[in-house]
Amino acid sequence: MRRALWVELRRGTAPYAALAMFGAGVWVLAAHPDDWGGRWVGLADYLRVSLLVLCPLMVCAGAWQAGRERRRDIGELIAATPRPGWHSLVAAWLAVTLAGVAGTAVAFGGAAVLVARVATYAGGDWWQRAAVGVLALAAASAGGVLVGRRVPLRVAAPIAGLATYLGLAILTYWNAAPARLSPAYDGRRMYSLVPEWVIEWQATWLVALTVLLLAVAVRRWRVALLAGGVAVAAAVPISTGPSWNRAPADPAAVELVCTSSGPEVCLTRVNAFLLGEVAAVAQPILARLDGIPGAPRRAVDHTVRPAGASVAEDADTVWLYLDFQATALGGLANAEDLRTAFRQETGWGCAYRLQGDEFDQRIHQADNMATDWLLDGSGFWAEGASAGLRELPPSAQRAWFADYLDAVGRCDVPALVRLAEQP
Amino acid sequence: MTTVSVAGLRVSYGNRAVLDDLAIELGVGVHGLLGPNGAGKTTLMRVLATVLRPDRGEVRLLGHRTDDRVGLRQARRRLGYLPQAFGFYPRFTVREFVEYFAWLREMPAARIPLAVDRAIERVGLRDRADDRMKHLSGGMLRRAGIAQAIVNAPRVLLLDEPTAGLDPEQRVEFRTLLRELGRDAVVLVSTHLVEDVAAACARVSLVDDGRLVFAGHPEGLIAAGGDGDSGDSPIERGYTAVLRGARQVSR
Repeated sequence: MRRALWVELRRGTAPYAALAMFGAGVWVLAAHPDDWGGRWVGLADYLRVSLLVLCPLMVCAGAWQAGRERRRDIGELIAATPRPGWHSLVAAWLAVTLAGVAGTAVAFGGAAVLVARVATYAGGDWWQRAAVGVLALAAASAGGVLVGRRVPLRVAAPIAGLATYLGLAILTYWNAAPARLSPAYDGRRMYSLVPEWVIEWQATWLVALTVLLLAVAVRRWRVALLAGGVAVAAAVPISTGPSWNRAPADPAAVELVCTSSGPEVCLTRVNAFLLGEVAAVAQPILARLDGIPGAPRRAVDHTVRPAGASVAEDADTVWLYLDFQATALGGLANAEDLRTAFRQETGWGCAYRLQGDEFDQRIHQADNMATDWLLDGSGFWAEGASAGLRELPPSAQRAWFADYLDAVGRCDVPALVRLAEQP
Repeated sequence: MTTVSVAGLRVSYGNRAVLDDLAIELGVGVHGLLGPNGAGKTTLMRVLATVLRPDRGEVRLLGHRTDDRVGLRQARRRLGYLPQAFGFYPRFTVREFVEYFAWLREMPAARIPLAVDRAIERVGLRDRADDRMKHLSGGMLRRAGIAQAIVNAPRVLLLDEPTAGLDPEQRVEFRTLLRELGRDAVVLVSTHLVEDVAAACARVSLVDDGRLVFAGHPEGLIAAGGDGDSGDSPIERGYTAVLRGARQVSR
């Protein structure tokens, strides 16, 4: 088998599969580094998201490889040999799978090197999630092998790939129990622990599916029946069990890591690699708010905000959204987006709540003044709005902002109008 | 010693019988299989190569019945086959291609490298062993096909139109190879080139319309012909005479 595998790895579809998977891997990684930068679990999750593209490619490669005998008119020659048909088929499937996985591994391995430089949390179940992704690639190439072996069309490979893409896309966004059988998902599970039983059953389901597809391809009906039974046995608990979309948080992942000096900025351990850069943005703003009644005193990663998290919601806290804030190298992607979190503190909610006759443009004016003052004249959506306010003595400025927070908290329109005209 | 035995063989495509009640016994040596187009030569070769299951009849290769799963596998291990339509993997080198078929024929792994080198050398492709198949000429491809057929030192070697695409010099070399292979194996060569049969085969079988109409030595076939029969050589005249006689009988 090793001899045939080696030849297939060099001369079959395998080299092309490796190249295609590497290219696709790099492409998907480059498309959204904010989804995985600096986070092991983010990278593993992103592999699962990328299966939407990678699995169809594997199906395509498997189908092209398995259709080779027919394309090259060599079936009769092989049929006269004693070796059972499944040997050469498994060698061909294994070659495509190993090559495809290797191509993916090189692409994601490069990303892993970048993650390793900055990652602050290596725990959780990231490697199990990644392993299930690899099993999914093996199952996809087995599906391709079945198509290539059974469908006597040259276009079978691209059509099978396209069909897989559409099928996975539907399953990914279909919020129904059977959709959980799909190995590809929409990500966003960085802070939770997928239950162990889910990963175990998913792995069993994918291995059984792989064996089933290969067995049907070589018409080994008993093996197919056995593998089909195992696949069904694994599929039932996955699709009928409780949804893991609301899986409990990983306590170690969402443990807060805080700045040791200056106004308090706390990020979850998963996002702690951004703490320095986030603090550089948030601390000057928090310092400006220091001592103003009703103003927030600290900034905290929004991840811990949901019910059951370690920090209760309170008015003293500004919640920072960091899910899409990492670059490939682990830096802060967009400081301006981070400042948006502070904009929420300046009462825009009140302006939006008012309707029709109640609304007065001067409310917006007051909001813009507050935002611009808070961000020290650098808020691009309200730049220069607080010029008059900032000419007042510092204590008057802080008093104005305190009054503003009070008025916004009550959504007191006359008070907001008065504040807009005051400086 | 008889090593290929066929009795009561019937193969049909739809309602048309391609081989009907055919019986043939082949021993060690080179056998020529002659017959006009559509006579059933390739069908017989495919049955003997175990890729086509007959409707009826018994086929024994090296003493193993081909309708028995265990026997079939054992027979295939000692079988070499070059089909008329020879497909190949263009990206494989000659060595890799022959090696792949050595593996498919379940040769012991330790014996494969030497056997591959020997097979490639015997067909005169040693200096092209590491060339990709897609870079070979038609004649070289045919020789590579022969190399894969002989890599396992088969006891039964079936060659369907093996000399197609070979130049005269290569055909002479090929006949020498055939004689060498026929010393300890059953070699059955299906061909239209009766001169090849006369030159290389110890025995000849002639099939027409699915029936065996002649089996014997090439000299016997030559003797069957007369001056009045069509053909440029004695064996061609014998060939046409036997066919004519068989067709008259069947009418």
